[in-house]
Amino acid sequence: MRHFFSYLIPFSILFWTVALASDYYEQLILKPLPQSTVLASFNFRSNTTLSQFEARNFQYFPRSLGQILQHVGTRELHLRFSLGRWDAESWGARPWDGTKEGGTGVELWAWLEADSDEEASRKWLSLTNALSGLFCASLNFIDETRTTRPVMSFQPEGDHSNTTLANMQLLHGVLPREVVCTENLTPFLKLLPCKGKAGISTLLDGHKLFDASWQSMAIDIRPLCPEGQECVLQIEQTIDMVLDIERSKRPRDNPIPRPLPGHELKCNTSKPYHSSDTCFPTDYAEGQEWALDQVFGKTIKGACPLTDPEVPPVCIQVPHTRDIYITAGASEIKDANKPSRCYQVPLESDFSMILPHMSREGEHPKTDADEIVKPETPLLYAERSFTGHGYERGGVRTILTNPSPDTEVEFFYMESLPWFMKIYLHTLTAHVNGVAGSKNDIIEEIYYRPALDRVRGTQLELRMRIPPASTVFLTYDFEKSILRYTEYPPDANRGFDVAAAIITILPSTSPDAPLARQKTSNLRTTSLLLSLPTPDFSMPYNVIIFTSTVIALAFGGLYNILIRRFVGANEVVDSGVGGLKNKIIEAVAKLIGNSKGAKGKVD
Amino acid sequence: MSSSVSAAQDDNISSESKPAAAIDSDSSETNDEASSLLTPKQPPPEKPEDIRRRSYIVASFWFIVLFLGLPIWWKTTTIYRADLPLSQMMDWADGRACSPVFPIKIAIDAPNLQKEETDNLLRITQQALDSANDFKGHHLQLETSPLAGKRSTPDSDIALTIRLTPGDAATSSLHSQEPILEVTYPPNSIPASDAASSGFATYLAAQLRLAFSEERNVMSYLLAKSSMPFEQRPLETSQDSSDSLAKRMTRSLKYSQTYHLTFSLFTSGPSPSSWDIESAIDEYMQPILDLLGPIHNFTIDTQVQLYATPGVQSQVLSKEDLSSFINAAEWPLSPSIGGAPTVNFVVFIGNQTIGTASEIGTSQSWLIPQWGSVYLLPPSSTNHVPSEVLKQPVLTFASHLLSLLGTPQSGSLPMRLSTLTRIRSADVLLRASSSLGSLARLSLALPSISIPSSVADGVAKSMYHLQLACSNLGGTDGLEHARIADVEAERAFFEKSMVGQLYFPDEHKIAVYLPLLGPVGVPLVIGLLNQIKAWKAARAGKMKVA
Repeated sequence: MRHFFSYLIPFSILFWTVALASDYYEQLILKPLPQSTVLASFNFRSNTTLSQFEARNFQYFPRSLGQILQHVGTRELHLRFSLGRWDAESWGARPWDGTKEGGTGVELWAWLEADSDEEASRKWLSLTNALSGLFCASLNFIDETRTTRPVMSFQPEGDHSNTTLANMQLLHGVLPREVVCTENLTPFLKLLPCKGKAGISTLLDGHKLFDASWQSMAIDIRPLCPEGQECVLQIEQTIDMVLDIERSKRPRDNPIPRPLPGHELKCNTSKPYHSSDTCFPTDYAEGQEWALDQVFGKTIKGACPLTDPEVPPVCIQVPHTRDIYITAGASEIKDANKPSRCYQVPLESDFSMILPHMSREGEHPKTDADEIVKPETPLLYAERSFTGHGYERGGVRTILTNPSPDTEVEFFYMESLPWFMKIYLHTLTAHVNGVAGSKNDIIEEIYYRPALDRVRGTQLELRMRIPPASTVFLTYDFEKSILRYTEYPPDANRGFDVAAAIITILPSTSPDAPLARQKTSNLRTTSLLLSLPTPDFSMPYNVIIFTSTVIALAFGGLYNILIRRFVGANEVVDSGVGGLKNKIIEAVAKLIGNSKGAKGKVD
Repeated sequence: MSSSVSAAQDDNISSESKPAAAIDSDSSETNDEASSLLTPKQPPPEKPEDIRRRSYIVASFWFIVLFLGLPIWWKTTTIYRADLPLSQMMDWADGRACSPVFPIKIAIDAPNLQKEETDNLLRITQQALDSANDFKGHHLQLETSPLAGKRSTPDSDIALTIRLTPGDAATSSLHSQEPILEVTYPPNSIPASDAASSGFATYLAAQLRLAFSEERNVMSYLLAKSSMPFEQRPLETSQDSSDSLAKRMTRSLKYSQTYHLTFSLFTSGPSPSSWDIESAIDEYMQPILDLLGPIHNFTIDTQVQLYATPGVQSQVLSKEDLSSFINAAEWPLSPSIGGAPTVNFVVFIGNQTIGTASEIGTSQSWLIPQWGSVYLLPPSSTNHVPSEVLKQPVLTFASHLLSLLGTPQSGSLPMRLSTLTRIRSADVLLRASSSLGSLARLSLALPSISIPSSVADGVAKSMYHLQLACSNLGGTDGLEHARIADVEAERAFFEKSMVGQLYFPDEHKIAVYLPLLGPVGVPLVIGLLNQIKAWKAARAGKMKVA
């Protein structure tokens, strides 16, 4: 104890410099997308120096999370809450290159400090339980069967010294069934220094966030060691959401979507059949108009005063030709190189912005290109689905498309499957464009850890390379296990969720590759719903009754044959049931006689 | 259907083996054939070996049911109940196993007296103490100081040192820093070697009793509160003092070896966002934490929380507001993980004040029982709270920490802490004993509860450590043993697997057993009854024949 405090003394002398070193950063990037949607990316970052963290002095770094990390010796932590599907066909490349999103449900991976696998498992259990309490999520259901230790797909993002790297263990767990909702957002906001009371976090509201077409909440904690400075521990919180503008603009007092009255419909008048009673709806993108407070339901209540005043808190990625009106007091900074502009938000007053309707006709007709930036093409498209039928076997097919006409793409494909889905690895095949190519061309490396019943799931990691402008069909077959009665979850007939496959696209090795290819990027398929043979859940009692009946029948028959005496039909002695019958008749007769006697007395 | 055919079917094996009898019965049938239309024919009398065979069958079925079925059923459905030493557990809970006696060693340091004189004074004072002792939990033991003359720190066993110095009159005062009772004695007051009593010795005894009166009150309060029927329990404590004791004891935290101290700065707005808490703790809190070192360990964390709205919005806080001031839903004051209890110290910066009803002016802090304390600071223009501003809050927190730990209020700090050790030992010992008692009562009250062997283990460990604690009371060793005993007793009491089978209703058992046991049991029982009836009839017939 005394020892511990003797360490503190130099820290307290350093305190002023330390206080300056720990900083806070937040930014909201809005990006209108095709089909009348807008992507809002919230990013919050707080730093604390490692020395302050180890002395347990928390300033902007949340204490509740910090003490969990210290308790279980976590070096790096990544937590994801996701909902919905990113429509890559129309929305293009993912925000943050897909590095800040998870599969549907909850995903958690962390590097723990542990000397042995058992120690890592123990710490992992205590980490998931603690986080489960903190984020009100069922993270404690990530048990051994849902935990994998990825070999290739994940790399630490922070700066770690070689000695710490040596005894760090990576564990990864997914809960695809978890429904992310408001109770997860509230603790998320509590971790922010400005707590949703100032700055861009005031826009966050459970009703809008979980009504989005796609949303992902991410928490990343990693140590960073900038050159020549003290190492810091950084917590980065990210929320990405794709809002449907029409849906979000719907007023609160009229939440149920109803068909528009005829005169409010926007019709495409160029169609030859357009008339007063026929209407072809116009293209989505035409004439998008929206305001920040319309889409989010509220305005930004001043900037968070903890941020660096140089960093503009709100940015929007639209062409410079797009008209935008902002509230007074805020100032606009246009980026000359990119179609992007940012806004400085005053400290104390509300901020909102309006993107008015831009006329497609008239003197200066505007086009789509004036309204939105064309989305970037993603490096890879991926979709995964089940094939086959019946309750015994099935198959999985993943379609991976490389849209680039000239560059090949190399990536890791990782599946962590539940144990009751037993894959046949020999059926794993990859076809290019439907032509059966040799598997070795596409799959370069396979790491496979087979499942053990009720102990661990299957882990399959593939290193693949797809040639330019081609589509790869990756298929494999599997067998469905029959579960024990108690292993079925509530509502078992809905099916079992299978976690998303994780695709990690490797950075290009060639020096002249474009910027997007020089970084690691991620992609996740949707999760699948596997239907297993489900029993009739009143079965145990039925079984008891049925077997009892059979046993009773057999036993009764046998026993009676063994102990009964068989006599001729004309030799039956009047006894047993007959005797009982006689007794009853006698008793009834006596009763009648008694009542008659009583009546006679009355007369 | 002819009757002769069916009879032949029934007994065809025996009829073949015993042709004479069969022919005999057949012939009787043919004789009666004419009269069979009017009266039913009597079946042929059963052969004795048939009857014997039938009874063997019934007996063997019952044998299987009783000696194979029943034991299997018993074995597979019985609930495991480990043997608990129930009577010993109840002994602990009722205080029969251990009567806590705290030997308190008091050294007499009299540099100016001869050894014989000191010994003599010691003997007479000890007699005076023993005769006046109405509370057997305390045993004040006098001894001559082994370090007589030296001014070094006394032995840790010695709770108090009496330093005798010659003076004009008999006066005594407790040293404010060290566990020393300064006593001056007038000349000629030292008793002679053959004196049976002495005024000065009685005075000394009374002073000693006074010095330990608070501890005695707390101890007797603890014993009185526990279910132990101590014969030495009641001291003539007044209602007021026992009320204030009750208040103090309920305020203090549950004993633990380690406490987490969390210092939080809450502000209602965006500033200040940093504070010099480390240096303030180091300067104002650390000395007390170091003194508490032998009894408790402490870990410290600090946090800054901005934009915190208190649970009460009013400008002047009334007494009722204080309990709801902490906004538990929004303020991140979650207890630390790792088992040890958390003590929260909150500095709130805002323009709220506490209205004290009677006096003019306001105070700034209050203590929340078993939780921590809150200090209100007025807002300042700077973004940083310097160490000087934190001096008063941290000093207040230090004194609040002492009362949250249950430290007595009088005496010098080392003496208060040694008293704290004894009080805590007694407290933990009593709590562990009462947990054992509750477990014993629980296992008696619920015969269907399962008791895994881990519970029995925990109980055995707990009782072993209780025994050790009871024989080492008064020191830190005893405290440590009592703590282990308490932990083990609690673990045994809160064993999860005990309650798993508890809510299995009897209707379920009927629903499971009845479909099988009904149809199987009825033929078995009726077969047995018939057999008994037949046997009785046969015996009656035999008697008649005889």
